[in-house]
Amino acid sequence: MKKLDVEKSLILTAIGAFVIFSVGAIMTTVVPPLVDDTLWSAGEHDVHEYTEQELRGIAVYKSQGCVYCHTQQVRKLASDQRRYGWRLVEAPPSESWEYVNDKDHFLGTKRTGPDLARVGGKYSSEWHWAHFKDPRNMGEKFPDRKGVYEKASIMPSFAYLSDDEIKDLTAYIQTLGRNINWRKDADGNELNDYEK
Amino acid sequence: MKQDIAAKTMIISSVLFFGAALTMGLLTALKFIAPTVGEIEYLSLPRVRMVHTNINLYGWLLQSNMGILFWILPRILHTKLFSEKLGVATAVIYNLTLIGGITCIFLGKIQNVEYGEMPLIVDLLVLVCWVMFSINVFGTVAIRKVKYLYVSVWYTLGAVIWTTFVYITGNLVTAMPMVTGINQANLSWFFVHNAVGLIFTPLGVAIAYYMIPKQLNTPIYSHKLSMIGFWVISFVYVWTGAHHMIHGPISHWLQTVSIIFSFSLIIPVMAVITNFFGTFANAPRSTRMDGPIPKLLMMGTIYYIFTCLQGPFQAIRAVNEITSKTDWVVGHAHMALFGAFSYFAMAGIYYIAPKLMGRDLYSKKLGDLHFWIMTLASIPFFAVLWISGVIQGFAWLNPENTFVQTLAALKHAHVMRFVTGGGIFIAYTLFLYNIMQTFFGKYSEEAVTETISE
Repeated sequence: MKKLDVEKSLILTAIGAFVIFSVGAIMTTVVPPLVDDTLWSAGEHDVHEYTEQELRGIAVYKSQGCVYCHTQQVRKLASDQRRYGWRLVEAPPSESWEYVNDKDHFLGTKRTGPDLARVGGKYSSEWHWAHFKDPRNMGEKFPDRKGVYEKASIMPSFAYLSDDEIKDLTAYIQTLGRNINWRKDADGNELNDYEK
Repeated sequence: MKQDIAAKTMIISSVLFFGAALTMGLLTALKFIAPTVGEIEYLSLPRVRMVHTNINLYGWLLQSNMGILFWILPRILHTKLFSEKLGVATAVIYNLTLIGGITCIFLGKIQNVEYGEMPLIVDLLVLVCWVMFSINVFGTVAIRKVKYLYVSVWYTLGAVIWTTFVYITGNLVTAMPMVTGINQANLSWFFVHNAVGLIFTPLGVAIAYYMIPKQLNTPIYSHKLSMIGFWVISFVYVWTGAHHMIHGPISHWLQTVSIIFSFSLIIPVMAVITNFFGTFANAPRSTRMDGPIPKLLMMGTIYYIFTCLQGPFQAIRAVNEITSKTDWVVGHAHMALFGAFSYFAMAGIYYIAPKLMGRDLYSKKLGDLHFWIMTLASIPFFAVLWISGVIQGFAWLNPENTFVQTLAALKHAHVMRFVTGGGIFIAYTLFLYNIMQTFFGKYSEEAVTETISE
C-alpha cells in the first residue's frame, strides 16, 4: 500500500488545514447562538424599540466612531458596577438579551473614556449638549466640571456636528442601559432621573 | 510579462502605505496629548485611529506579505509564479480598492467592525483580490518542480484558506440583518482576533521560516517542531475570539473555552520559537549579525515570544480584570503587528529588494541604523503602554477615583508614547530612503541575482 504523505500533497495539506480549522470555527460562531438563545432573543424581557430619532442618533454614534473610546458593557465585576452606578446604587451587569435590538453592537474594546452602557438618564440633555460642543469648557452652567481636572478630558469636540445631529445623538444616549429598571434606592423608591 | 513585477509593485506600494499608517499613528498619539489639534470632522480622533489600523493591516502588512510571498513561493517551489499578469492585476486593483476604502473611512462611511471599517463594497473588492491572490498561490504550488512542500508553503496555504472564511464572517456575515447585538459582537471578535492570528501570524511565520534559514545559511532546526507548530495553531487559534468579552455579557462557557484555547496557544508558539532560535544557535557566528536582516528577524522573534506570552496570561480572568480595556491592550496589539510581523516583513523587503534589482542593498550601515533606532524607540513605546495600562487598570478598581482623574494620571505615558512613536517614524524614513535608493537610486554594485533553478 502506498504511504499517505501529507507533505507531498497540495490537496491533503489544504483539506487538512481547512477541516481542523472548521471544528473551532463552527464551535465558536454557529454553536453559541444555537445553544444560548439570549444572544438573539429577549425572551420574556421588554427591550426598548428605537424611535426614528434614536436610530438617526445611532447612525451618528457609528459614523463618528464613538465605540473606539467608549465601551458599552458593564462587566460582571464589582469595580465596573460601582463606577458606572448611580447615586450609590450599583449598576447591574449588562445582559446579552439587552442588546438584541442593536443592529450594530457598540461593546467596544478600549475605555479611553468612561463606559456608556448605563449612562442613559445620568446627565441632562442640556449637559450632553454643552459637553459635545466643548468637553473642556462646558460653560458657567456646569460648575462641577471646574477645578484641576477641568482640562484633563481628551475627548474631541463635536461642535462640527449639526444641531439636529447632536439632538439625535443625545436622544440615543439617553436610552442606554434602561432595559433593566435599576435606579431605585434600598427601599425601592425610584431615584431622580434627568430624562424619562 | 517580465518576472517579479507583481512582487515589486506590491512591495513598493506597501512601503509607502507604511509611512501613511505611521503618520496616522503619530497624529492619534498627538491627539491624546493635545486633543484640540486638527479639530475637523475628517481628522477626528476615532477616524484617524480607524485609518491608522486599516492602512497598517491592509495597506502595509497584508500587501507587503503578499508581495514577499509572490517572490518567495516560486523560489521554494522551483518554478515560475503561476500567472505574473494576474499578480500585477491583483496589485493594481488592491491598491485602488484600498485608496477608495480609506477615503470612505475619512468621510465616515464605515461598517461597525473593528479592523473591518471599510464599507461593504470595498470588502467585496478586497475579497476579489484575495481570490486572485489565492489562485496564484494554489497555481504556483500545483505547477511546482519539487515534491515536498516546505513549511512556508503550508502556512501560506493555511492563511489563504482560513482568511477567506474569517474575512467573510467578519465583514459580510456581521452585516446580515438578523445578526444583532451580542451574536454580532461574537462574530466580529472572531474576525478581529483571527485577522491577527490566522492572516498575519501564518503569513509572517511563513516569511520567517524562509528568511531565517536562508539568511543564516543554516537548515531549519527541527522538522518535527515545524509540523507541531503548524497543525496545532490551525486547530487552536480559531477558538479564542470570545476572550475579548471576558466578564462581559456573553455565555460563560464560551468565555471559558476561549481562555483554555488562548492558553493552549503557548504550545504552537513555543514550537515555532524553539525552531527559530535553534536555527539561530546553529548558524555560523558571522551570519548572525551581518546587516539589518538577521537583526530584524531575531528581534521580531523576540517580540513574537513576548506578545504570545502576554496573550495567554491576559486571557486569565483575574489578569483580564486589570488589563482589559486599558492602554495595555494597545501595547499588546502593537507588539504583535508592529513588533513581530512588521519586523519580519521589513526583513523580507531588505532581502528581496536588492535581488529584484540585481544589485546589493543601497546601504547596510543605514539598514543597521534603522534597526537600532526603531528597536530602541519601540521597546519604551510598548513598555510605556503596558505600564500605563496597569496604572489605569488598578486606578479603576477604586470608585473614588473619578474617570478624569484616572485619565490625567496617564498624561506622562501619553507624552512618552508620542515621543517614542516619533523615534519609530524617524527610523522608518531611513528604511524608506534605503529601499527607494535600492529600487530607483543611481549607484553601481556587484550584481547578485537569485534566478530560479529549474
